[in-house]
Amino acid sequence: MLPEMAAAAIRTSKLTKDYGAGRGVFDLDLQVSAQEVFGYLGPNGAGKTTTIRLLMGMIRPTGGSAYIFGLDCARDAVDVKRRVGYIPGDVPQFGSLTGSEVVTYLGGMRGGVDPRRVRSLCERFELDLGRRFREYSSGNKQKLAIVLAFMHQPDLLILDEPTSGLDPLNRQEFYTLLRETRDHGATVFLSSHILSEVEHICDRVGIIRDGRLVHIAELDEATAPNLEEIFLSYFSESRTKPKLLRS
Amino acid sequence: MIPVLFGLRLGRWGMIGFAAAAFLSILAQTAGFYQIAGHSPSARAAFGASMSALAAQFVALFPTPIRPDTVGGFVEFRGIHPLGILLCVWALVSATGFARGDEERGIVEASLATPTSRAALVASRAAAFTIAIAVASLAACAGYLAGLAIGHETAELRGVLEDGVLLVALGLACYALSIFVAQLVPGRAATAAAGGLLLGLFLLNSLSRVLQSLVAWRWLSPFRYYDLSQPLPPGGTFDARGFLILVAIAVVGTAAAALAFTRRDLGSSLIPFPARHRPVSFAPSANTLWRVPVVRGVYERRLGIVAWSAGMSLLAFMFVLLTRTIVNVLLSVPSLLPYLSVFVHQQIYPAVLGYTWLNVAQLLFAALAITHVARWSAEDVDGRLEMTLSQPFPRAAVVVERMAVLTVIALVVSAISGTVLFVQSHIQGIDLNAGRLAAASLMLVPFALVFAGAGAVLAAVNPRAAVGLLGAFAFASYLDIELATSFRLPLWLQDLSAFKLFGTPLLTGVDGRSLALMVLLAMLGLGSSILLMQKRDVGR
Repeated sequence: MLPEMAAAAIRTSKLTKDYGAGRGVFDLDLQVSAQEVFGYLGPNGAGKTTTIRLLMGMIRPTGGSAYIFGLDCARDAVDVKRRVGYIPGDVPQFGSLTGSEVVTYLGGMRGGVDPRRVRSLCERFELDLGRRFREYSSGNKQKLAIVLAFMHQPDLLILDEPTSGLDPLNRQEFYTLLRETRDHGATVFLSSHILSEVEHICDRVGIIRDGRLVHIAELDEATAPNLEEIFLSYFSESRTKPKLLRS
Repeated sequence: MIPVLFGLRLGRWGMIGFAAAAFLSILAQTAGFYQIAGHSPSARAAFGASMSALAAQFVALFPTPIRPDTVGGFVEFRGIHPLGILLCVWALVSATGFARGDEERGIVEASLATPTSRAALVASRAAAFTIAIAVASLAACAGYLAGLAIGHETAELRGVLEDGVLLVALGLACYALSIFVAQLVPGRAATAAAGGLLLGLFLLNSLSRVLQSLVAWRWLSPFRYYDLSQPLPPGGTFDARGFLILVAIAVVGTAAAALAFTRRDLGSSLIPFPARHRPVSFAPSANTLWRVPVVRGVYERRLGIVAWSAGMSLLAFMFVLLTRTIVNVLLSVPSLLPYLSVFVHQQIYPAVLGYTWLNVAQLLFAALAITHVARWSAEDVDGRLEMTLSQPFPRAAVVVERMAVLTVIALVVSAISGTVLFVQSHIQGIDLNAGRLAAASLMLVPFALVFAGAGAVLAAVNPRAAVGLLGAFAFASYLDIELATSFRLPLWLQDLSAFKLFGTPLLTGVDGRSLALMVLLAMLGLGSSILLMQKRDVGR
């Protein structure tokens, strides 16, 4: 672990994943401090999920580096994941396994999880673990993904559009859970399309466009900028003059 | 027209793959005939007699060939009949893939959101499959004609086309039956139910050739109507009535499927299965098996293990039952006695059982490995691998655990089916060497691992194409051994085929060199796939 990185939960330096044809993430320099809730905003295809997959070690960078708690995301992937809870952008399919089997199966890969913690999360979101995964609605699948990410009380949560498919009540419950988790010392990195959600729960926000981080803003209540204005300043123009912006 | 094109677009790789397989296999068999059958009338007659001997051992699978001393008779027996079975498997996978797989993926719902009726959707998919299987059958015909050109022979085009349309009709009949059955049962059981029905109908017809009691019932099987024609050989026949019955089964089956589809809810089956009432649970499973590496994978596939073990045991049981009949048929042909005298000295029953049962077992274990690779690919595509890797679990461990799970499952299935074979042989008074049978059964494990190793590499390189490529690899391996004699392939090339390396363990014991090569190939696949998995990107 590099000492200067110890304080940063996430730190990337010139992180690049080049898929060709201008797609991917380029020269991403980002630092997320411990106990911070960092929102990651951008339109579809901007590179949010690619960034998250790079942090999770699912894909290999073509340049630069990424560290979580000072550990290299690619080289030390296993150690990184001991401290991370993850919600992927698309909920994985577990077919005919029941929710309880999925929890035990993935919990077993972590060396076991506290069943009281699982029970508490499931009661909170009213998620019936006795049903088969294929019988779950999309909202219930997302709830299961939340349980899987939070069940081992990780130090860092990397969440790719975590409220997708949740109804307003469960969405509020999720925000409460997120605040409690932050208050207990965890860091949160979450991507979202929903500006109000990011404004509501994040300390800082980064905006990504065409694979490049174009803006980082503090979201302190007193000095909070109008996120919608910032967002639209970057993207409304690109809708009308895409070629000009690319040049 | 657009729904038909959409159906073709979804199944384009199947069409390309099966057309290529049909062309190459028939071309290889046709060209191979000229390499092995000799050119003089006496050589051809001797070759025909040896083929009849071989056919007698497979009478429970394929009909007795007409004039196997001619290229038409030989290709009908060695090429077209196995291709017919292959096309039926394609029809099964394609039909259940549409009826339930596309439904789970939401493709059916999206299609029905357009102004398309359910009946029209079923008809369009059936039409798309008709075009696809017609292309594959034409490719088979083209392979035959190309092979004839190599041997400087010509054929009556009518017989070739009749064989082509027969293959299409058989495939469509199987497609219609599968798509109908898939409407009746829950989605997860659709392939098993339709596959079980087709297998039952196939066995009903083929076993009726050796079991008199089944003759009265074989009219129920579409395979019976396919059997009535053998248009390729000189003096062969095309039974127009049988062909029309196959077409009628296809039309009526598709119409019944369309009707059933209009009467059920999307995501449900026509036959209602009451949901079990369970109390709400917020607790994780207390079953510790889910926490133990390898055991959790085996436990998750427990129903599959039961199905594979039961199916293989049933087949082993039937092959032993048929062995005496087959041997009696062989011994009753005077012209075959010179060929059999070699076997008789070496125990004819183990020889016949080894040739029939172990040949089928090899194919099924290759299929077992392919189904596992299909699952690995699916885990990659549906995000389960990503979720696994989001746990503190090394990528290498994922690959090793997958192979270990397959090893355990292959061991269980081979041990159970081998035990059934031994016990049933003992009951039938067939004296099998227990040690050799155990060794032969255990040899099926490294045999499956060779395919799994190749599949692990393919799944690491391109999970979406892994199953198709592994199927092609298995097909090429099978062709390798099939054509080794015909084309005098070099030994090193033959040794790349697991079918060749398997040898004849029941008759001659396990060849240590072949076993070592199989283990080496499997380990090579495992090692390569671990390296590739470390380097590759994961995610949809």
